[in-house]
Amino acid sequence: MSNLDLQEGLVLRLEELSISFGGLKAVDNLSFEIKEKEIFGLIGPNGAGKTTAFNCITQFYRPNHGKIFFRDKHGKVSNLIDHPVHEIIKLGLVRTFQNVELIRELSILDNVLIGAHIDFKSSLLAQALKTKKAKDEETKLRDEAIEVLTFLGIADRMLLPAGGQPYGILKKVELARTLMCHPKLIILDEPAAGLNDIETVNLAKVIRTIRDKYGCAVLLVEHDMRLVMDVCDKICAINFGKFLAVGSPKEIQRNKDVQAAYLGETEEDQ
Amino acid sequence: MKLKRPSFIVKKNAHLNYVLFGVALCLVPLLIELGLLRNSYLTLVGSVIIYSVAAIGLNLLLGWSGLISLGTAGFMGLAAYISAYATVNLKLPFEIAVLLALSIPLAVGILVGLVSLKIEGLYLAIATLSVSEILRKSFEEFGDITNGFSGKTASYPKLLGFFQLDKYGTYILLVVVLVGVMILIHNMINGQMGRALNAMRGSEAAAQAMGVHLLKYRLVAFALATSLAALSGILYIHFIKYTYPPTWTLGMSLNILSAIIIGGVRNIYGTILGVFVVFAVPDLFLKQIPYFGAMPGFAYIVNGILIIVVIMYYPYGLIYLGNDMKKLWGKVKAKVKP
Repeated sequence: MSNLDLQEGLVLRLEELSISFGGLKAVDNLSFEIKEKEIFGLIGPNGAGKTTAFNCITQFYRPNHGKIFFRDKHGKVSNLIDHPVHEIIKLGLVRTFQNVELIRELSILDNVLIGAHIDFKSSLLAQALKTKKAKDEETKLRDEAIEVLTFLGIADRMLLPAGGQPYGILKKVELARTLMCHPKLIILDEPAAGLNDIETVNLAKVIRTIRDKYGCAVLLVEHDMRLVMDVCDKICAINFGKFLAVGSPKEIQRNKDVQAAYLGETEEDQ
Repeated sequence: MKLKRPSFIVKKNAHLNYVLFGVALCLVPLLIELGLLRNSYLTLVGSVIIYSVAAIGLNLLLGWSGLISLGTAGFMGLAAYISAYATVNLKLPFEIAVLLALSIPLAVGILVGLVSLKIEGLYLAIATLSVSEILRKSFEEFGDITNGFSGKTASYPKLLGFFQLDKYGTYILLVVVLVGVMILIHNMINGQMGRALNAMRGSEAAAQAMGVHLLKYRLVAFALATSLAALSGILYIHFIKYTYPPTWTLGMSLNILSAIIIGGVRNIYGTILGVFVVFAVPDLFLKQIPYFGAMPGFAYIVNGILIIVVIMYYPYGLIYLGNDMKKLWGKVKAKVKP
């Protein structure tokens, strides 16, 4: 554990990350790094191991091998593998889910407030007795949640239950929930899945605005190539869990290995 | 799917409503004194209050956290016997007995929770069922403490060592405890704790990603449910003044469970309505029905049918029947006016 130092200006570095399920190597020796305030795309064909890599970073899966260095809110660098899954958000690393994971019965506002779970300091007893401190805390975070919802333009619906809202709105609610913890890095798992063209164009705008307003880096996995090419500063392509290429959107588009992975190899290439 | 659930509207004067509800319950002794209600109704309403305390605890577990415990009766019985033994045999003050009867079941509950909650929720059901059965068997076997099948008696509580409550006084105490529990649980479920429990039930992955420590919150929910079951057992022994092992069977746990499903999952008033339907309606109405009323298992049949009907048409419980009535009434009024 000698190299706990993460280069200045980087927020995350994966080092030889590997995980296998049975005999299948879902992620194999993957390394990449993300700069602060960078929008970073992770692409690859179906089953390339993108989501698995996500789950390893956020500790939903425990990688078999490798290190994940992360610079937290206070500038301290640590190896994410040393933290249990529920502590990851405290460092300033937060994620969304491929299939929106919201609580149907709760209002949109309450769903967003779940994102502030770690910011509540008052004890259970104080909450039960509704002491002034607990009340003030709730009011303060509620105002913050309303602010985030206003920023994303869905504050008018905040008292409606999340269940039954259109998919585009739910995606935004999930985004709002991640913003409650003042993140350093947001991980978006297929944010454009299920959105129509106009919503996707808007999403690109939103992602950039979030980066500028909150000063955080964004890591996204996405199938919608227009979005990825439009919004990302840098892209990493993987296939069968293995690193293929990293570079700017233009470089990735021109890369022979990436083209082969997406379109299939031809005889001449071999 | 046309499930409507208006519970996200947090009523501003919810606390006042709970207190008013308590005041209304306190009118029962008055009505009996005035001869408007039968004497036996006090025990009936008192029992509903007692079981409601345990049911609210179980609702916290089942409704909000999505975990199932089948051991409610065991923990209730344990607390009842401890409180009886401490006040009658050991001659300890009521307050000390309450403390003992709360902390011992809680300790047992936390042990069971620690072992079973690490894995998935279903294991809690299995573990609590076994513990409950072990406890029930112990009530039969440890005759020195429990008096076995002859049953154990206790008296109305004596507060602070000198304030001896009578039947009505104890009833008022039940109401005060119930209203207190309602307010405390209301505050908890409308704050951070409630959101964490909801998140846990709705999506474990999202809850963890948002920093909810699953084992911790499962344990807290289970500990609260166990404490409320124990509290309910204490109230039982000092109001009914008698207990014997066959009271604390799986049947009791299942009755409380069905009360929640019938009355209202994730709804405090609904829980009480459910307890009323399951525990009071058989005595109040069903026994009056000719022929069927005399059948020993008739209440079970009615409850079973009710559960099926409620799950089909009111998946969030009978308490939402009121909303539909209001809507219907609005429609009728609109039709009559023009």
